[in-house]
Amino acid sequence: MNQTLNRTMVLPQLRHLFPVPRARSFATVVISTLALIVACLLFAPSSVTWGALSGSLPFAAIIAIVGLGQLLVVQQGGFDLSLAGGVSLAVVISTHYPQGDNALLLPAVLIAVACAIMAGLANGFLVSLCRLNPIVATIGVNALLYGAVFAVSGGVPKTTTTLLTAIAGGQTFRLPNTIYFALATLAVVSFVLKKSVAGRRFEAIGANPLATRAVGLHVELHQLLAYVYAQILYCMAGVLIAGITREPTAFQGDSLLLPSVAVVVLGGTSLLGGRGFPVATVIAAFFLNQLSQFALAVGVPYSAQTIIQALALGFGIGVYSVRWTGLAIKQTRPT
Amino acid sequence: MKHSVGLQTAFAAVAAIIAFGCSDLARAETPSWCGPKKATIALLDGYGGNSWRQVTTASGKQEALKCPSITKYEYADGQGDTQKSISDIKAMAAKGIDALVVFPDAGPAMLPAITSVYKSGKVIVPYRVEAGGKAGVNYTRFIGASFKNDGENWGKWIKSVLPQGGNLLFLSGPAGNSQGLDELAGLKSVLGPEYKFLNPEPFDVTNWDPALTQKVLTAEIAKNSKIDVIVSDFGPSLVGALPLFKNSGRSIPALATSDGNSLGCFWTDVQKDNPDFKLFTVATGNDNVRLAVQWAVASATGGKLPEEDVFKAPVFENSVSGKPHAVECRRDLSGAIYLSAELSPEDQEKAVNSK
Repeated sequence: MNQTLNRTMVLPQLRHLFPVPRARSFATVVISTLALIVACLLFAPSSVTWGALSGSLPFAAIIAIVGLGQLLVVQQGGFDLSLAGGVSLAVVISTHYPQGDNALLLPAVLIAVACAIMAGLANGFLVSLCRLNPIVATIGVNALLYGAVFAVSGGVPKTTTTLLTAIAGGQTFRLPNTIYFALATLAVVSFVLKKSVAGRRFEAIGANPLATRAVGLHVELHQLLAYVYAQILYCMAGVLIAGITREPTAFQGDSLLLPSVAVVVLGGTSLLGGRGFPVATVIAAFFLNQLSQFALAVGVPYSAQTIIQALALGFGIGVYSVRWTGLAIKQTRPT
Repeated sequence: MKHSVGLQTAFAAVAAIIAFGCSDLARAETPSWCGPKKATIALLDGYGGNSWRQVTTASGKQEALKCPSITKYEYADGQGDTQKSISDIKAMAAKGIDALVVFPDAGPAMLPAITSVYKSGKVIVPYRVEAGGKAGVNYTRFIGASFKNDGENWGKWIKSVLPQGGNLLFLSGPAGNSQGLDELAGLKSVLGPEYKFLNPEPFDVTNWDPALTQKVLTAEIAKNSKIDVIVSDFGPSLVGALPLFKNSGRSIPALATSDGNSLGCFWTDVQKDNPDFKLFTVATGNDNVRLAVQWAVASATGGKLPEEDVFKAPVFENSVSGKPHAVECRRDLSGAIYLSAELSPEDQEKAVNSK
C-alpha cells in the first residue's frame, strides 16, 4: 500500500522535473532509431560516418520540418495534401524571383511566406469554416498552388542564389545549418504546444472539439490556424531545399508528402487528432532518413531499397496498432 | 537618248542578276528534306515541364519553320499525364494536322494512339523514347537516340584519362530506364574488367532528381574511399551534390556526363581546388528533335528523306584536351541552358524564360 502511494506521489514530481515525452510512441521511436543505428554499425558502417551524416542530415531536417507542419494539422484531425504544392511554391519563388541576385533573396522569402499564409488561410477556411473534407479541400488548394508554381517558373528549375546556398547548405560548428533550423522549429513548436495557454487549448480542441466548444474555446479559429502554421513550416522547408540542392526542380515537394505523414504516424500521433508528439516526430524523421541511407549504403538493388523502407514503415505502424497495454493487463489480471 | 537606253539596259541586267541571285539563295536556304507540298505539323510532348524540354521544343519549331511549305506549327504538352498525351495526339489528328512528331514519354502505352493516327493516313514520327511497334505498320519512322554511343564516348575518354583502370560510379535516372541500360552497354563495350563499377547493378537510381542524387552520392562517397570517375547521364543534377566531396576532405573526381551551362560554370569555379576534377561531356541531345522534324516534314511535304534515323549526340566538352571544346560557361545566361544545342544561347534563354 505504501509502495503504491509512494509511486503515485513520486512519479508526477519526477515527470514535472523532467518534462520529456513519456508516451509509448517516444520509447518506440527511440528504441527503433537506436536499433537502426546498431544495424547501421554492423551492416553498413559507412552510413554513420561523419561524412555521410553531414550529407544526409540536411534532408532529415527537411523531413522533420514538414513533419512538424503535418503534425499540427493531424492534431486537429485534419490532413494536409497541399504540402507538395506549398513546398514547391516556396522553392520556385526563392529561386526564380531573385534570379541569382542575393539582394533580392529577402524579398523573395517574404513573398514566399505571404503566399504560404494565403494558402494556409484558404485551406483553413475550406476545412474549418466551410466544413469540407480536409483531403478534398487540400487537394484542391494543392492544385491551385501548383498553378502558381507553373505561373512563377514555367516548370523550369533555376540555380539558387549563392547567399541561400551558404545559409541552407552551409555548416556552423561542423553541423549542417539545416539542423539548427529544424531544432529551432522543434523548440518553438514544442514550447508553444506544451507550455503556452494557446498550445494547450490547441491540443484540447484536437482531442475533443465538441467538449472544448462547450467550454467556450474558438474551435474553428484554432483549426484554421493549424493549416496556416503548417504552410509556414512547408515554406521554410521549401526555401531550405532550394539552398541545399542548388538547382532544385519545380516539383521538389512531391517526394516529401509521404514522409511527412509517415513521420507523424511513426511519432505516435493519432490520425484522428488530439495529442501531438513533436520530439518523437523529429526523431522519426531522422529514423526514416537514416533508413534510406542504410539501404543505399548496404548497396542493395533499388527494388530492395524500397521494400526495406516499406517493411520498416509497416513495422512502425504495426507497433502502434497492437494494444500492448491491453495485452499486458489481460496477462496480469487475476482470474 | 542612246545613253538613257543603255542605262536602262544596264539597270535591267543588274535587276535580273539580283533577282536570279535571290531566287538561287532562297532555293539554297530551303533544305532538301522540305518538299513542295503544303503541310501542317505539330510537336507533342509527353512532359514539357523542364528547361531541356523547352529548349527542345523551341529547336523543333525552328527546324520546322526552315521549310516554307509548313503553313502551321502547333504544340501540346501532355504534362506527364498519359491520358492527356493520348488525347492530345488524337485531337491534333482530328484538327487536320498532317504531320505529328511525338515524344512518347509513357512508352508502349502510347502505341495504340500512335498507330490509330498512322492508320488514318497521317505522318507520325515518335522520337527518343521507344513505344514499340514497327515503322510502316504503327508509325512512319522512329527516330531514336543512340545512348549506347554516349556510353562508348564516355568509355573511350575514361580509358584515356585512366589507362590502368579504376573505380567507376554510374548514376542514371529512374530504376530500369532504357537510356541508362543502353549507356551501360556502351560503357562496358569499351571498358574491360580493370574498370570496376562501384554502384549496384545496373546503376544508382537518382530519378534525375537533384535531392535524391545528393542522397545517393552521400552514401556512395561514405562507402567508397576511392572513386576515380563518376559517370552520369544528367550532369546538371550533380551540381548540388559534388560539393559533398569537400565535406569528406576529398577532391571531386573525374566526371563523364552530359553538358549544361550550370555544370560548366561549376567546373570553372571549383576546378582549381579540385585537381582530379576533369570534365567530359556529350551533347545533351536537344537536337534529336530536329532529325525527327526533318523526317516528319520530308514525309508530309514530299521532300528528300534524311539518311540517318538515329541521333548520335556529339562529344561537346573535354577539359583535358580542350577538343572539340574546352569547358564552356556563360555567366550572363541562366544555368538551365545547353550550350551544345544548335539553338543559339539567346534563343534558349527566351524559350526557358517564356512561361
